[in-house]
Amino acid sequence: MISIVSLTLFLPLLGALVLVALPGISTRGAHAVGIVFAGLAFVGSVVMWARGVGEGGAGFSQVEEVAWIPSVGAAYRVGVDGVSLPLVLLTTVLFVVSLIFSAEISERARSYVALFLLMETASIGVFVALDAILFYVFFEVTLVGMYFVIADWGYEERRRASLTFFLYTLLGSLPLLLAILGLYLGSDPNTFDMREYIASPPLSGLAAMLALIAMLVTFFVKTPVFPVHTWLPLAHTEAPTAGSVILAGVMLKFGTYGLIRFALQMTPDAFRAAAPVVVTLGVFSALYGAFVALAQTDLKRLVAYTSVNHMGYVVVGVAVAAAATDASVRALALDGAVLQMVSHGVVTGVLFLLVGALQDRAHTREMGAFGGLLRAAPVLGWGFILAAFASLGLPALAHFPAEFQIFLGTLQVYPFAVVVVLGIAVTAGLYLRAIVRVFLGTLPEKWTGMKDMSAREALTIAPLLALTVALGVVPFVVLDVVHRATQAMGP
Amino acid sequence: MTLAALTILGPLAAAVLILVLRRLAPALALLGTGVALFGALSTLARVAGGARYSATLPGLPDLPLRIVVEPLTAVLALFVSVVSFFVMVYAVGYTAEEGDKVRFFAGMAFFAAAMQTLVIAGDWVLLLAAWEVIGFLSFLLIGFYYERPGVGEAATRAFLYTRTADLGLYVAIFILIAGAGTSEISRTLDLGGQAAVAAGLLLLLAAAGKSAQTPLQGWLQSAMAGPTPVSALLHSATLVAAGAILLIRTSPLLPPTVLLVVGILGGVTALVSGLIAVAEGDLKRLLAASTSSQYGFMLLAVGAGSPIAATVHLIAHAAMKSSLFLGAGVFQHARGSTAFDDLRGVGRERRWTFAGFALAGLALAGVPPLAGFWSKDAILAATFESPHAWLLAPLALVGMLLTAVYVGRALGLLWRGEGEAGEPVAGAGWMGAGLAALAALAGTLGLAVGPLAGLLGEDVQENLLIAGLGIVLALAGLPLGWFVPAGRLLGPLRGAAERGFRFGGGFDGLVARPAMAAARALDALDRGIHAVVIDVGRASLAVAEATRVADERGIDGLIRALVRGTRALGGLARTLQSGLVHKELLLAAVGGALVLAFLTIGAVGL
Repeated sequence: MISIVSLTLFLPLLGALVLVALPGISTRGAHAVGIVFAGLAFVGSVVMWARGVGEGGAGFSQVEEVAWIPSVGAAYRVGVDGVSLPLVLLTTVLFVVSLIFSAEISERARSYVALFLLMETASIGVFVALDAILFYVFFEVTLVGMYFVIADWGYEERRRASLTFFLYTLLGSLPLLLAILGLYLGSDPNTFDMREYIASPPLSGLAAMLALIAMLVTFFVKTPVFPVHTWLPLAHTEAPTAGSVILAGVMLKFGTYGLIRFALQMTPDAFRAAAPVVVTLGVFSALYGAFVALAQTDLKRLVAYTSVNHMGYVVVGVAVAAAATDASVRALALDGAVLQMVSHGVVTGVLFLLVGALQDRAHTREMGAFGGLLRAAPVLGWGFILAAFASLGLPALAHFPAEFQIFLGTLQVYPFAVVVVLGIAVTAGLYLRAIVRVFLGTLPEKWTGMKDMSAREALTIAPLLALTVALGVVPFVVLDVVHRATQAMGP
Repeated sequence: MTLAALTILGPLAAAVLILVLRRLAPALALLGTGVALFGALSTLARVAGGARYSATLPGLPDLPLRIVVEPLTAVLALFVSVVSFFVMVYAVGYTAEEGDKVRFFAGMAFFAAAMQTLVIAGDWVLLLAAWEVIGFLSFLLIGFYYERPGVGEAATRAFLYTRTADLGLYVAIFILIAGAGTSEISRTLDLGGQAAVAAGLLLLLAAAGKSAQTPLQGWLQSAMAGPTPVSALLHSATLVAAGAILLIRTSPLLPPTVLLVVGILGGVTALVSGLIAVAEGDLKRLLAASTSSQYGFMLLAVGAGSPIAATVHLIAHAAMKSSLFLGAGVFQHARGSTAFDDLRGVGRERRWTFAGFALAGLALAGVPPLAGFWSKDAILAATFESPHAWLLAPLALVGMLLTAVYVGRALGLLWRGEGEAGEPVAGAGWMGAGLAALAALAGTLGLAVGPLAGLLGEDVQENLLIAGLGIVLALAGLPLGWFVPAGRLLGPLRGAAERGFRFGGGFDGLVARPAMAAARALDALDRGIHAVVIDVGRASLAVAEATRVADERGIDGLIRALVRGTRALGGLARTLQSGLVHKELLLAAVGGALVLAFLTIGAVGL
């Protein structure tokens, strides 16, 4: 039996080491190595998908374990369940696409690609880790990689952005470490095995609530949720395009994944008690993100704030699941939350790629500078229109099935919170405003020569757009896998 | 079931092929809608013979997608396919000189497929999906000439008005599914109590948006910026019909209070939009206002307790209004504009087109034996028989009068004046064919009312007295509109009617601007929060600086003070060792005295 999970996990790291070992490699060679290893990791994740998560899956599948510090109960443990497997696949897809898009980077390409491969291993690691310390290590390593990517290949304010991002999220991660230690001390026998924490939650009463609050702080900073979200617009706008794709598409999911895996599964009673507060924050954050996005004139900042909006829906879904007494409603809300994570990764990924392509051509992101671009760059334009309508929740495209499930669950558990559906009207307004201003109308003189998407760029957005449609029309392909885990979650 | 599926699959396949092949767009679109028409006809024949079909497709967990074919849905499928097909025929001619046929026909074909999905949807998720997708296609089709000024804004307006109203549909669906435990439409209609009232009002909100009812009718006027076949298909017969269709299908659910609200809203719309139509200076915008008004009649019928009357009018109106739009399109190509000022006398120039236009117009006004007479009669009879006749019937009567008035006005403005010689209009053959077919339907659909009622299993009210009343109104209104100018007819209401009865600044002032203001305020708040974060960073740098100072001056200083103190003490100790004999003797004497004293006290004490 090949340990496919570990193989998929460490292949990108191997690629990074290969790059380190070849200091004389050319730019094209470096990009080629990156794409090859990311591609292999993608193949690995497809094999993982094919092997599946087993029927009626409470618990984890494809588990691989190697003892590390037995006296402390820490080990190298990896495995997947219905929640993490789609996220692993999302990660590998987005990394391949990002590396193909990044093939244009010529400045210190070797370091760039190596950092991305490192981040890929760390990202997959976050989702497949079954040991709390391992999870934390991978969680933090991604920060390091992203710091360097933003600081060295970003835009004008990259120094401030990378430092703010790094310090803010690092500080935000510390409470999680405290919570993990609390879980460790509460478990009997003391272990860092996440499966043990889930099977028999080690803490109760005040200890559990404190651990939950610590975890919520960390995951709210990561997701991000109002008011600890302000690092996001800065980091997203200053990061290079592929960096933004990974940041929004993969790294934001660490927060919501943590909400499910840690907060929901390891301190269920405390979360149920805290659910009204979390729902309120989620609803406010979702509406807040949409409204602030409406006020933006910088396209990248606009897309960044819509991430706050969409992740707000996920938080609402998880909180609703925590509070639900009916198992089918709980599964409904969690299905929606996980599907929303996958949908957001795909759709926001393609939006950032398109905005990045636009910025490369025009050297500006201000909506007011554009007009009528649909005539000059139809592939870019129609791609944006499709992705924007997906992001605003149009049925037959990604986001609709997930949002439908989340809102339906919300009505059944917290009826007043259904006011969060207003978010989709606000999002519609902001995207239409952007589309009309940038792509419709008459084409100004200065943009008549604008080139449409190159073959390489089209190669990156095509699979993501195809996934956008697939997630909208046949969401059950993903939901069947997710549902196996969510139907077994909770008491 | 396969035949029924053809209604969707035909246009869908056509759309996909058009986008892939990028050629033969008109032919493929015709083929697709033709296949749909064939499917719908055969399905209706079978359903009339007693067959019922349903199909289930995988959707969400516990929420599968369903398609249901029964009398109502089969009839609706047929009318959608008939209108789609003939408008497509017309569109072949209309777009004869158009550049981007691929985009146009792909959009129209996708729309036809989505609309068909909506009418035969059997579960709420599929219905909602189709409802939204037709809104998206409407955005794309209204925005077809996206490079012209104002077109993007018109398309946006249409989408945002309807999308906002659609939130009502979303929440209503959640209430229904939560209450019934299933998403199958027919099984959710048994809900009662508060939930039914809430769901009913929310459904009405969504229907009011889609069918351009007051106060949400403004978007339809702007939607006229799209190509005329789009106005004919989407914005007269199908997309705007979705709202009425929703209320017709859910009428068993609606409690009496909600029905009353529906009726009043419909009646008020019929009135208000009728007045706007009388005041309009543009032919297409007059027809748009008329569309709102006619859908108001349908809501009035549902509110009066007769969904069958609404259905009959829905189908008749589709034929009548689309014919009117098709005629308007020919006039538009002839004169290059749709403003009445530019269209003077075009009726004389294009007599066949005007004949079709006039036939449809007279039908709309309710002149027997044309289709509109029968449907209006059914609605009027229903309002008189409803428990709220005192409220609903006058609204219906005034609405009917206004219909006749604006039809007369339109006909008059198009006919009076001198016809220009005019160049031959490109594609006139195709356009004429489409128009002729639909106008013929407008004339003859009256014959279908009886069989239709029989198929749907309900009676259509008929009352000679009321029918007579209707004829009187029609015959009074038509000459009134023809001869009397709008200003004199409307009197004091003219200004308000010309502005579309917008109050409070309309959607823009009441929703859009406050939303932007809120957005900007929250953006400022966000920058403030981020500034606080940066200040925390600066504060921690200040703390670091203070710590450094404390370390250097404080702790280091303490150590140095200690060192100084020790040296001082050492200095003091050194003064004792001065080497001066008299000081040493003094010390020795004092020391000796102290020792003697201690010894003496010690010896004495013991």
